[in-house]
Amino acid sequence: MSHTALQPTATIENDLPAPVSNRALMIRRLLRNKLAVAGIAVVLFAFVFSFLGPLLYPTDQMHVDLGSAGLAPGDGHPLGTDAVGFDQLGRMMVGGQVSLVIGLAAGILATMIGSVWGSVAGYAGGWIDAVMMRIVDSGIAIPALFILLVISAITSPNSLTMIVVIAALSWLVPSRLVRAETLSLKQRDYVLTLRGIGGSHWRVVGRHIVPNTVSTLVVNATFQVADAILLVAYVSYLGMGVQAPSTDWGGMLSAGLNAAYSGQWWLILPPGIAIILVVCAFNAIGDGLRDMFDVKGQQ
Amino acid sequence: MFSSLSTGARRRLGLAAGAGVVATAALLSGCGAGSSAGPSASAKDSVSYAWPVSQTPNWILPLGTKGHTSTINASIINALWTPMFVYNTSGGSMGLDKQASMAKDATFSADGKTVTVTMNKTSWSDGTPVTSRDVEFWYNLVKNNKDQWANTAAGKMPDSITAFKAVDDSTFSMTFDAAYNHEWLTSTQLALIRVMPAHAWNKTSDDGAVSDLDRTPEGAKAVFAYLVKAAEDMGSYSTNPLWKTTNGPYQLASFDASGKVVLAKSDKYNGADPASIKTVNLLPFTSASAEENALRSKTLDYGYISAASMPQKSQFEGKGYTVTPKPGWSVTYMPYNFNNPTMGKVFSQLYARQAIQKSIDQESISKVVWNDTAQPGYGPVPQGNDSEYLSKDQKDNPYPFSTADAQKLLTSHGWTIGSDGIASCTSPGTGATDCGDGIAKDTKFEMTVLSQSGSTETDNMMNEIRSSLSKTGISFKVQPAPVNSVLAQSQACQSTDEACKWQLSFFGTSGSWYFSAYPTGEKIFGSTGKANFGQYSNAEVDKLTDAAVKSDDTSAMQNYSSLLAKDLPVVWMPNPVYQVAVTATGLKGTGPDVDLIYPQRWTW
Repeated sequence: MSHTALQPTATIENDLPAPVSNRALMIRRLLRNKLAVAGIAVVLFAFVFSFLGPLLYPTDQMHVDLGSAGLAPGDGHPLGTDAVGFDQLGRMMVGGQVSLVIGLAAGILATMIGSVWGSVAGYAGGWIDAVMMRIVDSGIAIPALFILLVISAITSPNSLTMIVVIAALSWLVPSRLVRAETLSLKQRDYVLTLRGIGGSHWRVVGRHIVPNTVSTLVVNATFQVADAILLVAYVSYLGMGVQAPSTDWGGMLSAGLNAAYSGQWWLILPPGIAIILVVCAFNAIGDGLRDMFDVKGQQ
Repeated sequence: MFSSLSTGARRRLGLAAGAGVVATAALLSGCGAGSSAGPSASAKDSVSYAWPVSQTPNWILPLGTKGHTSTINASIINALWTPMFVYNTSGGSMGLDKQASMAKDATFSADGKTVTVTMNKTSWSDGTPVTSRDVEFWYNLVKNNKDQWANTAAGKMPDSITAFKAVDDSTFSMTFDAAYNHEWLTSTQLALIRVMPAHAWNKTSDDGAVSDLDRTPEGAKAVFAYLVKAAEDMGSYSTNPLWKTTNGPYQLASFDASGKVVLAKSDKYNGADPASIKTVNLLPFTSASAEENALRSKTLDYGYISAASMPQKSQFEGKGYTVTPKPGWSVTYMPYNFNNPTMGKVFSQLYARQAIQKSIDQESISKVVWNDTAQPGYGPVPQGNDSEYLSKDQKDNPYPFSTADAQKLLTSHGWTIGSDGIASCTSPGTGATDCGDGIAKDTKFEMTVLSQSGSTETDNMMNEIRSSLSKTGISFKVQPAPVNSVLAQSQACQSTDEACKWQLSFFGTSGSWYFSAYPTGEKIFGSTGKANFGQYSNAEVDKLTDAAVKSDDTSAMQNYSSLLAKDLPVVWMPNPVYQVAVTATGLKGTGPDVDLIYPQRWTW
């Protein structure tokens, strides 16, 4: 009896849609965005190519070989060699490591600095906010590329300095976004309640405001990474990037440009295409993530 | 496809895609051969010439002062005012170009101390004859303003002149404090003499009366100050009446602050070297690629390409140009900073310098990196032609490339190659198998070069040298900087100075040092030389240099060449050409142009 009595209930439950968590819905939404999925695939491929590639295809990227300079793609060198005899495919891998590491690290660092700056300014309000945001406005008014070139001219650039400098120039936009979010969040009931029962400012900012800006930060971080990769490419293209034997895709593009007029396409197309693909991929991922986080808002 | 993207993302994608399109377009444009019509097929009475990249003229007075001695200034000044002695390669090798010189003849007294110069009979553009008084005017200004004249050198002109005498209207004599090698004296000292129009310039204000003011020290200073002030006003160059009194084959038609200069053929010129081209446009460029693009679009008659562009020679020839590498009478090197607190003591050891020199594969660098346009150089005398001053030691390369031999030199002198591949001093001391005086235990053989930026060839050369030195066991870091910054930092210093951090420097993308006809290096290798940046000091070298300057025996120069080839005061490097000239087919007479140009020789 009891079994029979339970039957209708079970039937009713089976007819209802299974409860879906926010996280699952968001992932489903992200995976439905074909461009974002393609972006993820491209970025994954770029990382695998750059970091695991040298294990499968080892080349000497430390010592030049003038006897093999300028070889066209063929046996032994699938993408040819550059002007001093470095294998171009191996160079793409080494260059990819630098471009991706600098781009990723600078993008994340810029987002972190921007989130702290923006949340403090927005939460503090008043003259502190005014001063902090005027600093941001002033920073945005100065072209980042100009500052980068000046710094590159007076220092000897390496990956670490490039990360720090690019991050130091890129945190301004995320700080504005986070400040705007903070201005809204600090008026919410749960924030006011916490303040009312004696919660400290740092606890409010650290535990309730910053975590609630994560969706904005994650989306912005992907754009920051893409912009950082482009900035690295710009600086290297102008001959002020990391120094040999290190290289990055922008530096390879710069070094190969002259050879392009001689028909040595393999020196310019591979790094050029790699930059375009990876930058587009990060932008597509960012766009997909924004749509994904919108699910939460819609619910 | 992009419909789901935000505006910002679309903008970024657009930019990236745009960059790709531009890159592809550039690639494709390079593949086109272009038509064969010459750049100025319809304009045969003018020539458009490109100044070297990022160089603009800033002086007009035929008296150089500090910061106003660039060769492009000299090119303009020489076109307006004929120099006394001109040395160039018009005769096939570096030598006196009588046609371009004011001097007709120079004879030396029996004791070799006095030279008597006879000038060609010519006149200024206002019809007044050019006389020895115009030379005296120049001499009085230089003698009384030697602290401001850029060519003043200790023990040289004007101090070395003990007497000046105007023999007659077209002849003058100068007596020197000692007898010097005639060619050295003529090419390095007498070549500095100018004629300047005393009848128009011997005054102290625009409206002032012209008189013999220069014959008193005070008057000479006042006249000099007036002329220098006028020359500092670049905006008035084409209008100031001072600069209209010339005796050269050209007059200044316009002078733009951006560096664009137009020269017009002088109808009043009555010398031996008249101009053919009516209008010469001298154009500035801020980048090599902009200049090469101007050639590709055929807006230039006379420009240049980098050595890295030599594989595109046929493309330029297809567009109606002739491509000619132009070697200079020069040497190229990296000076050591012997006073550097970290590496100075290491550089002071000959075996260490030999190890470095043996790690420079000059032949391969010249062939591959410089596309066969550079010439290996093993010593202080330009090696491009079989000069009579070249010693056998220098010619035969005393330190042929071998990183294995270079490493042996280090390991046999107390250095041990570490696990990181870099040599460390493990046997300090002054014995034959020790590292040498002042080199502490565990000193690592690590050095950094300040290198001229902006040149693919230089970047690739430094990359090759870094690679070879690493095989020897020497760490070599390259710190690129604009050439002016490299030169500013590579100054003579004491080891305790903050400015003594530089260890090696390179500023020779177009050659490090250009000589007059007689290639002594007292300025670059002499103990008190003005351009001896690394403070190399060797009494024997000073003695041989002095002998070469004062003796007419070519063996003196050969001895000097031999010693410096073996003693390695600097790292000898491949000597690049001054430039790879690209001239419109049909434009002739560009042969003598190397660092200086002679537009009066150009013809269509």
